[in-house]
Amino acid sequence: MHAAVPGEQPVGPSPGPGALEALLDRVSRGDQAAFETVYTTVAGPVLGLVRRLVRDPAQSEEVAQEVLIEVWRCAARFDRDKGSAMSWIMTLAHRRAVDRVRSAQASTDREQRVAARDHTPAYDEVSEQVERRLEREQVRRCLGSLTEIQRESVLLAYYRGCTYQETADLLGAALGTVKTRLRDGLIRLRDCLGVTS
Amino acid sequence: MTTADLHTLTGAYALHALSDRESEEFARHLAACPACTQEVRELRETAARLALAAAETPPAGFRERVMAAVPEVRQLPPLVPGQGGSGRSRRRMWRRRMPQLALAACLVVAAVAVGTTVDAEHQLAQQRSRTATAEQQASSLSRLLVAPDAAFHNGGLTGGGSSTVVSSARLGQVAFVYHGLPALTGGRVYELWYSKGGVMVPAGLVSPSPPNGAKLLNGSPSGAAGVGVTVEPAGGSPRPTTTPILLAPLPSA
Repeated sequence: MHAAVPGEQPVGPSPGPGALEALLDRVSRGDQAAFETVYTTVAGPVLGLVRRLVRDPAQSEEVAQEVLIEVWRCAARFDRDKGSAMSWIMTLAHRRAVDRVRSAQASTDREQRVAARDHTPAYDEVSEQVERRLEREQVRRCLGSLTEIQRESVLLAYYRGCTYQETADLLGAALGTVKTRLRDGLIRLRDCLGVTS
Repeated sequence: MTTADLHTLTGAYALHALSDRESEEFARHLAACPACTQEVRELRETAARLALAAAETPPAGFRERVMAAVPEVRQLPPLVPGQGGSGRSRRRMWRRRMPQLALAACLVVAAVAVGTTVDAEHQLAQQRSRTATAEQQASSLSRLLVAPDAAFHNGGLTGGGSSTVVSSARLGQVAFVYHGLPALTGGRVYELWYSKGGVMVPAGLVSPSPPNGAKLLNGSPSGAAGVGVTVEPAGGSPRPTTTPILLAPLPSA
């Protein structure tokens, strides 16, 4: 492992501030070792996020692989003035997974995806990195500070790929309400998590 | 759409929850709205934290597959100013046009159908209590939908519309999630049933309006082989009076 970041572990801890950005800069110049470190940092969250949306394990891996290769391909287009590298990569992953979910038209396909849900291996709590667990606990705690409608709206949109129209249908709420809840829910989450940009 | 309306779309935009058309309209607005741009940036950073919280360990061989593919993939050059390469081409790169689903995959997850029309100035008190009911139901449904033994059965309804029946033996609950229920005349309603030992047991009513939503079935699914839906006169019936428009099996406990 040609880790550029001191203390790099085999499974996805976050490197220090600015480290991922610096790595992407090297990746943009064709540095495969730097890409391997980027992979180590982001593969877990990319796959986890895609799997939440796409559900079918094989399709999820396919989409996650596309996303990671897209990171390699487009590293030069990353613009740190527009946000962090992690945010750029997760936005890319989310977009790809949402596209996959929305273009899966045939109901049989949908059915299979839904059925696949039950075969997704349970998360192995024991192997979970401490840092990752802390992250998860903090997010869970902050999600708990949202109102039910805010939380449902954010989770349906983010983890299920629902449009706000679909979210409104599902929650039996007005469109305007869902738009507002998506925004104020995320703002509350931002403040609780202490996200800065 | 007014500028104020557009500004409230930052959250939906950051979560890719807008239609393509709206998303493009909002992206144009962003170019002229530094405050919105900053907010979208922060909300995307926030959303990335939700991704981190969902992290999973990739399966064996995944790293090797990705790393093996990389040398074959030609990298894009940086964008140079004047090449017209701002957000627009990046967006094109990121997005592929996609048809909207009639019944999105998300239909199987979380839902309430109490017709909570959160409509403005009047009926504030009533609205508040409806919202409370909605939140309560949302909570039960969420629990059901994420139950470890949750089973899903998708199916079209005779006469139009589609549905997913979600059941959990562990929670002893079943939900009927529906999309595009046809309107009914004369105050008729949709009635839900459990099929228990060949007898149809009433399990609740669903109003055809709004046409999309979800309903937790009344009573326990224990001993039920399936769930049925019929069209019944106003107020429902003690036993079905019409041919079921849906029969969905429940997993045997």
